[in-house]
Amino acid sequence: MSAFPARNKAALAGFAQSPVQRHAPMTLGAITIATVREAVADAGLEVSEIDGLITTPLFPSLGSHAAEDGIALVTTNWLAQRMGIVPVYQENPQGQLPGAVAMAVNAIHAGAAKNVVVYRALHNPGGSYHQNDAPKASGRDQWVMPQGHHGPIAAIALAWNEYAQRYGAGEDALAPIAIEARKNGARLPWSYWKDKPLALEQYLAAPFINDPIRMFDCDIPVDGAAAFVITSAERARDMPHRPVYISAYSDILPRRFGLAHHWPYDEIMELGALGLERLCQRAEIRLSDIDHSQIYDGFSPLSLFWIELLGLAPRGEAHRFIAQGGIDSDSPDGKAVLASGGSLGNGRMHGTPQMIECYLQLARRAGERQRDVKLALACQGVPNMGGSVLYSADAY
Amino acid sequence: MSSTVQQRPLPVPDAQSAGYWNAASRHELALARCGQCHMFAHPPGAVCCACGSIEPAFEWMKLSGKGRIRSWSVVRQALLPGFADLVPYVTVDVELEEQPNLRIIGRLLDGIEAPLVPGAPVAVCFEDIAPDVAVPAFRLAAG
Repeated sequence: MSAFPARNKAALAGFAQSPVQRHAPMTLGAITIATVREAVADAGLEVSEIDGLITTPLFPSLGSHAAEDGIALVTTNWLAQRMGIVPVYQENPQGQLPGAVAMAVNAIHAGAAKNVVVYRALHNPGGSYHQNDAPKASGRDQWVMPQGHHGPIAAIALAWNEYAQRYGAGEDALAPIAIEARKNGARLPWSYWKDKPLALEQYLAAPFINDPIRMFDCDIPVDGAAAFVITSAERARDMPHRPVYISAYSDILPRRFGLAHHWPYDEIMELGALGLERLCQRAEIRLSDIDHSQIYDGFSPLSLFWIELLGLAPRGEAHRFIAQGGIDSDSPDGKAVLASGGSLGNGRMHGTPQMIECYLQLARRAGERQRDVKLALACQGVPNMGGSVLYSADAY
Repeated sequence: MSSTVQQRPLPVPDAQSAGYWNAASRHELALARCGQCHMFAHPPGAVCCACGSIEPAFEWMKLSGKGRIRSWSVVRQALLPGFADLVPYVTVDVELEEQPNLRIIGRLLDGIEAPLVPGAPVAVCFEDIAPDVAVPAFRLAAG
């Protein structure tokens, strides 16, 4: 008996991913309904058999855009009404995808719901994503906005430059992340970047946004939705596809109180390490037991941070590791940590590419990309603000 | 074409921040210090995160304004009103000398070509952005 009673008690039974588009002709709500229907059918279920809905509805824009339900975000309430579902369990946590998966696992293990759909829907509002016209800065904003500091790209630029200066990473150090993500994303049928890999020359020719962060170090805002069916391990074994068991999760960690859009590098690493330590304790594994880790890459420095947290390169060495082909998915010696294409290679999907890659590989549904792997990890977000979920081919 | 210069976002002082903005308007850097444990908190929250006091009785203490650069970035896009004529500009993450890891973010007014290294000394200065409203910023300082 595991120390974590819910270990491998819930499983992924099906999934769907909508086309990832810059500006979709359908509303995000309509896309989400279509995607959830497809995921439910993929699991061999009827919509009437879904009794749980969970999403992280966050619309992560800091710009002056309306956050209208069904348009810019899709809550479970909106979706349930329009799909004719009356869920016995619905939640809209403000965290990230790993937290939503964790809630589904807990609900199923507790018997609160039988068949849960976890989905993530993301919208591109058009215009500048983070442009903010606010004439005043109140509350937490007043400590940074009048000063000229605003938004997540500014935040990651400061964190990355602290790393780069401390460990001697050059101006081109992040290029292998963006190029590898785009290479793998270009091979995915739903990706915004399908058939559009990124050449080093293109990467270097693109402008800096916040030096040392270049344009292609940032994921592109998109319209898209992904959905997953999570059910009990027992029920999953009677469904059409091979079950993929959820072994453990690490949810978002409480940040130290500080300035808005200030992500100190040392705090990211300290709390990120704690999250993975807890995940390993729950799963009763070592990090080295994981044979397919999928790292997050919404901003490319985050991938380097995850590589080091996972122990694939020593602290301060990930930039050398990737420069030497360490993450080349086409090399037998490479760690294919961006096989999912990530956010840089799919579009801003906030963790669904990593989760889909883990699912497809362990369910042995990855087609030409199929690898012989048993234990896969999906990482999300800034390591201390996202979390991770461990999936297993076996209910060990 | 309008030649109106947009106003930068104006701070809205509140019970937790009035002391900071009052001092800034006099071109002084003052931060909140917990009346119980005497640790600086920036920004000051509802409670003291250093000692856990729910009655922190924060006091506004004038600081030297000296610190060292932990990190920096060049901002190329104006995402806020009033910055279009200022880009590109440098922001710095400064660790103030009064307390380890006491950090403040502001503009560095030496231009984007200024040679920067981690640990470079800086001193606070102020940008007057409206009548009686000044915002802390930084300039490179001697060792």
